[in-house]
Amino acid sequence: MNSGGWLSLSMRLSAALAIGLVVGLIFGVPWAGVATVLAIALGLQLLHLLRVLRWLQADQTELAPEQPGPWGHLIAMIVRLYRRKQFHKQRLLRLLRELRRSTAAMPDGVVVLNPQAEILWFNRTAARLLGFRGKTDFGLRIENLVRQPEFVRYLRGSQYATPVIVRSSVGTEQHLSLQIVPYGAGQLLVLVRDVTREARLEAMRKDFVANASHELRSPLTVISGYLETLAQDTEVDPALAGPLQEMRRQAQRMTSIVQDLIELSRLESSDSDAVGQPIDVVALMAQLRQDVLARPQHPAQVLVRADSHAMLLGEDIQIHSAFSNLVENAAKYTPPNGSVQIRWWTDDRGGHFSVTDTGIGIASEHIPRLTERFYRVDAGRSRATGGSGLGLAIVKHVLQRHGAQLSIESEEGQGSKFTCDFPRERLQIPVKEAVV
Amino acid sequence: MQAADISHHTSKRFNEDLERVRSKVLAMGGFVEDQLSRSLMSLVDADSSLGREVARDDYKVNGMEVSIDEDCSRILATRSPAAGDLRMIVATIKTITDLERIGDECEKIGLIAARLATIERPADRYREVKHLGRTVQVLVHDTLDAFARLDADAALRTCRQDRVVDEEYEAIQRQCITFMMEDPRTIRRALDVMWVVRSLERIGDHAKNICEYVIYMVHGKDVRHTSLDHIERELAERAVRRS
Repeated sequence: MNSGGWLSLSMRLSAALAIGLVVGLIFGVPWAGVATVLAIALGLQLLHLLRVLRWLQADQTELAPEQPGPWGHLIAMIVRLYRRKQFHKQRLLRLLRELRRSTAAMPDGVVVLNPQAEILWFNRTAARLLGFRGKTDFGLRIENLVRQPEFVRYLRGSQYATPVIVRSSVGTEQHLSLQIVPYGAGQLLVLVRDVTREARLEAMRKDFVANASHELRSPLTVISGYLETLAQDTEVDPALAGPLQEMRRQAQRMTSIVQDLIELSRLESSDSDAVGQPIDVVALMAQLRQDVLARPQHPAQVLVRADSHAMLLGEDIQIHSAFSNLVENAAKYTPPNGSVQIRWWTDDRGGHFSVTDTGIGIASEHIPRLTERFYRVDAGRSRATGGSGLGLAIVKHVLQRHGAQLSIESEEGQGSKFTCDFPRERLQIPVKEAVV
Repeated sequence: MQAADISHHTSKRFNEDLERVRSKVLAMGGFVEDQLSRSLMSLVDADSSLGREVARDDYKVNGMEVSIDEDCSRILATRSPAAGDLRMIVATIKTITDLERIGDECEKIGLIAARLATIERPADRYREVKHLGRTVQVLVHDTLDAFARLDADAALRTCRQDRVVDEEYEAIQRQCITFMMEDPRTIRRALDVMWVVRSLERIGDHAKNICEYVIYMVHGKDVRHTSLDHIERELAERAVRRS
């Protein structure tokens, strides 16, 4: 058809030109004949062009005019293009509608925000969970309606990796998990999930641990008291001295486990950040050294190195318990001829407290799991040393509440290094040092 | 009248300033809501440390009030807003005062809760107070929603809810008096509970005030010290005239 259109047109044109030339020759004005034919041909083409333009302007593709030659071809191509576009548009629309319908039916709430955090769209579940209302809430900033301080802080920050859990503000005991997912050009997707059940279970677990350890404490005190008396009683059969000693040791271990559990559940129960009282880390380190040296078995060398006099802002009891857990661990797993070094220094990133030992070290596969409760690298040995298995879990929780992180480097047989990295906001630099 | 109305401005910066102030007011509102719910939680769960924490955090509410107040003064001085914008600034200045007072009441509840946590809880674990607290929480929440959406109808509806709070307050008051007459040993506790419900009732009043500012902001009509029915009739007439 393509070549056909052109062929017939050019053939017709050349025939018309030949006739024009012959007629012109007959009258003695050959060029006038050719010019007349060309003028007629041009007029015809312009007429066709005009028709096509009219048709396009009318925007009615169905009523395509019948045109001969290349013009008909052109019209057919336009019609085809238009139909194809229509078809794609329909398909996209259908797809979009399907997508909207499926997101609307999702069990999780979905809210779409523009870069200014204004609400563009939300599904039914989100409306139900967050109390949004139909069309009136489009264009409002999400933080104006979801006003929980935790969420506002989460939205303004940029740490969207983990969701934030907020309590529903309307009296009910509902807990919502909100996660922001950035996508496209600064757009944000907010996923909302009702986590009331999970939150309740978690609360029950915490309550149980707290209550159980409290309840266990008083009978344990009684048992330890009687064992103490029995051990000092001279009338007791000497053959029982060994078992009695063992019972006392085990009772002591149990007491320390219960105490650690209580401390852990106390740390867990308050999720707010620790308040900041200035703590003199240098003095604390000296005290920790004294404590280690007071142990019946301790490493030969306990070095303290204070490279900074900066104060740490935190809760002193908690920080003390975290640091002493680290130091005691190091002392426990270091042979008498080894050494333990405690160091405190500051740099641009913040303050760092590290405990380095030349002890038995930890195999790398255990390191990621060390801070789990009751995780033991070598069950037999750590029980012999009398640990509760909760020390590092406590350290982790204390550091979390202070916005700090624990990093562990270790090589089996060579020793380990535990470092606590505190952010700058947690430091109080003495005036002297700041000037220098 | 929707949020879009105040976001039509020749100066984009002005718009942003107004929006920022609004968001700050609502952030302050959100914090006050949180304070309220935590103070009630400390009372019901007898959690004295939480109660003290609420009291300690009140300074943050005061700080927010001062900061928003400064922003409003700056906008008044540099932009000299007119009509709806002026009303919004005026309403904002008043709203934050009431929000700050709500914060103060929460502080009081927190302190009393910390004290009550040291003595034995009544058998019903403050069920009535809890119920009143929930009503007040919903009231404050709806008020702030009406402020965010500039929804005068919702504000009017919320105003009416305040009556429920007043009724519940009366009921608890009578109940406390009965308790005190029955057993003088409960007087100490009953008096503290009275302070708590009194604070809750005051919070309801402050929320009602904020609702009135919302109506003022949207319709430009001062509705303080007038009966609710009167306001409703007048607003309905306006709507008819406008259409």
